[in-house]
Amino acid sequence: MLSFLIRRLNLLLITAFILTIIAFAIDRSVTIESDLTLSEQPNYFFQYLSYLFNLLDGNFGYSSLDNQPLLTRGLLFFNATLELCFSALLISCLIAIPLGLLAGLFRNTKLDYMIMTVAIVGLALPVFWVGVMAVLLPSVWGDVLPVDGNLSLIYDVPTVTGFLLIDTLLVTKEYGLFAFFDRIAHLILPSLVLSFFLVTEIIRLTRHSMTMVMRSNYIKAAYAKGFSRRKIVFTHALRNALPPIIPQLRLQLSTVISFAMTIEIVFNLDGIGKWLFTSLKAGDYLVLPAGMLIITGFILFFSILVEIIMVIISPLRRGSLYVDK
Amino acid sequence: MYLISLRTTRLILLLLSIVSLQGCYQNKQLTDNTLIYCTENNPTSFNPQISNDLASLDATTHQIFNRLVKLDSNTNRFIPDLAESWQQSDDKLHYRFTLRKNISFHHTDFFTPTRFFNADDVLFSFNRMLDIQHPYHTVNNQMESYSYSHPFSNLLSKINKIDEHTVEFVLSKPDVTLLANLAAHYAVIQSKQYADQSLQRGQPEKIDFQPIGTGPFKFKSYTSNGVIRYQKNELYWQDMTNIENLIYITNPSATKRYSKLLSGECDVISYPAASQLEAMSKNKEIILNSKSTSNIALWAFNTKQTILQDDKVRYALSQAIDKKTILQAVYFQSAIQTNTLLSKQSWALKPRIDENIYASQQAKEKLQTLNYDFSKTLSILVPENAAVFNPNFHKTAELIQSNLADIGVMAKIESLSGTALQARLFSGDYDTYLTGINVHINDPDSIFRPLLSCASSPENGNSSRWCSPHTESLLEQSLTESNFAQRIKSYYLLQDEIYKKRPYLPIAHVLRLDAISSSVLNVQVNPLTGINFQYAIKQDLN
Repeated sequence: MLSFLIRRLNLLLITAFILTIIAFAIDRSVTIESDLTLSEQPNYFFQYLSYLFNLLDGNFGYSSLDNQPLLTRGLLFFNATLELCFSALLISCLIAIPLGLLAGLFRNTKLDYMIMTVAIVGLALPVFWVGVMAVLLPSVWGDVLPVDGNLSLIYDVPTVTGFLLIDTLLVTKEYGLFAFFDRIAHLILPSLVLSFFLVTEIIRLTRHSMTMVMRSNYIKAAYAKGFSRRKIVFTHALRNALPPIIPQLRLQLSTVISFAMTIEIVFNLDGIGKWLFTSLKAGDYLVLPAGMLIITGFILFFSILVEIIMVIISPLRRGSLYVDK
Repeated sequence: MYLISLRTTRLILLLLSIVSLQGCYQNKQLTDNTLIYCTENNPTSFNPQISNDLASLDATTHQIFNRLVKLDSNTNRFIPDLAESWQQSDDKLHYRFTLRKNISFHHTDFFTPTRFFNADDVLFSFNRMLDIQHPYHTVNNQMESYSYSHPFSNLLSKINKIDEHTVEFVLSKPDVTLLANLAAHYAVIQSKQYADQSLQRGQPEKIDFQPIGTGPFKFKSYTSNGVIRYQKNELYWQDMTNIENLIYITNPSATKRYSKLLSGECDVISYPAASQLEAMSKNKEIILNSKSTSNIALWAFNTKQTILQDDKVRYALSQAIDKKTILQAVYFQSAIQTNTLLSKQSWALKPRIDENIYASQQAKEKLQTLNYDFSKTLSILVPENAAVFNPNFHKTAELIQSNLADIGVMAKIESLSGTALQARLFSGDYDTYLTGINVHINDPDSIFRPLLSCASSPENGNSSRWCSPHTESLLEQSLTESNFAQRIKSYYLLQDEIYKKRPYLPIAHVLRLDAISSSVLNVQVNPLTGINFQYAIKQDLN
């Protein structure tokens, strides 16, 4: 177990090292003139070391626009992005898991073909384009769902955690639950758009997993015992079909985050994507290495964490604990 | 199958509850006293004295500040604002203003005034612009801006404080435009006490970014994502506003602004795209407010170029231009075709039964009889970026180019921007220039002087390099004349002269467009000084 953990952490360190080198290179190319403290160092190696110590110290530099510390700002924005990603994940699970299970249960029937066709169409539509179309919805629907921003402007909610669902609950004294509901309303359209491609992915995974389970011997045995189909599906198949999907979803994380960043620009949501976009447009290039480190750092940390947890809870994966396997 | 139906029902129920959420997520009370204005651009500052872009004017003039006098939009007369009354001396050089008493500046988180508005504030507001030695004169770099101090520097010789509530403006020569200038956006009154406090704290630049005024709304915050928040000024000295919270948000995309107006996220939007106007005018829930402005798009002929020196040539070239097509292709419904420099609202406009002078064939024949040199290629200089008076310079230039080609005149378009354009104008090495003028005060002099005066340089407006003693004397005459009828008469003469000599071809007077949700009433738009939400009322239509 220990050697496994060390190997994983080793991987984490090596990747983090490469990332900091990239971040340092970007940082150097944009601040070669302005950052005197680093330039005082004799060569790139020492400059890199002092950059690395700054990073470890939590000092990612300051925005040249509003002089705010980049790490704190970036994390707050990133939290908003994560909130969007998780709500999209939630919505797509709600839509896709039942559909995937149906498609798996009725494999190669009309229902299956129908579900898979819709899913493929969803995958084929570019998220960015769907976003732009969604923004035009009020022209058809009128006053139904908001299409712009994280929260209605009538609520002046101070940013505490960056997760607006939490922040809005902190101001219930002032606005009651209205701000919270308003936040949910603002999340619906962007999350739906973002869930488009996730839905396809989850349907495919669930369908496959369900098919595998339905073909397994214990299901056959259950049939042979004379159990009803409903009982087999509910008590035996479902329970075993869903868990294998979860680790697969982890692989979608980076794609979801990058799509979320484009969606933020379309829906004018404050998140890390819009933050990077507007800062770069305004010539504040220092946010680029900071933003990159925050996003990649999170993905790296998260995937290794999930892997470790999977190993701990899943007996099948414990094989990887041993070096020679 | 039971499983499926149960799941599906749950799913449908969930989706239904999400959709029905929209009914209850809005806080009615808060929505009703909050007004959201979605604008195209961020203001460059919160002081109309240093920024004269429309976004800054909309965000400041009527909301935060008051002026000494203002223009009554119904009667077109000057009425008192912060000044109670005024008298003009017999020599027409002294104007004495009596100021209102007990008027408080905004009480905000960053400033609490300890005294009421008085003469010192008036002196501070004007001396900041006029006095080069003034500690605030160079704050926020207005030195580079031509328009800063320009309106008053030739007009005023000094301002005297007679007592706490009386000030005297001394003119350098008799000039009737003083009141118009005092009613303009750049004559807003700032708090001297706030300025002194900011200076003491070593943050003088704050005065233009965290403004303090006497207006109906007080500034609350401005965030980097383009959201400006204002609150009702509880101590306002005139009718209290109905709106408690006024919020501006910048959405550069016109499509987004329109979407937000429809989804109820914006109550008022600025500059709807020309292509949306038709759909908007059909929608009963939207009121399209269009105000004609004096901002005009022009095609200037460089009268110093040999080939364009003859006014008959200029006239013939003007005849060759099909303005109607330009209006349709470039402006859609956002401008009105014009033949005059002054707009229809101007009191000095000489009504002209105007023939649509577009006559391509006639123009060609005229040029032939004038022995015009058809082998020469005319240059059309165009600014690269769109301006208030022209959404697309290049397209306009292309249309002009093709009109000229119809009569056998070759033309080349040169797009320049910034300093390159300025340098080119300064050098005089161009034949024609596609330009316009952005008018800030409601006085004909503000259009004629920059365009026609010998003292005005091409960068400041006189891009036709027009300089004639006759025009000059008419300009002076009309400026010093306080007899209104006489003044109008000299402007009529001036317009006749210009119409004949044709240093400019007026193309269109631009409209200022705002789309307002039908639940919002009484939004006033002044094309010169910006939008005014003081009297706005939001009503519940449901």
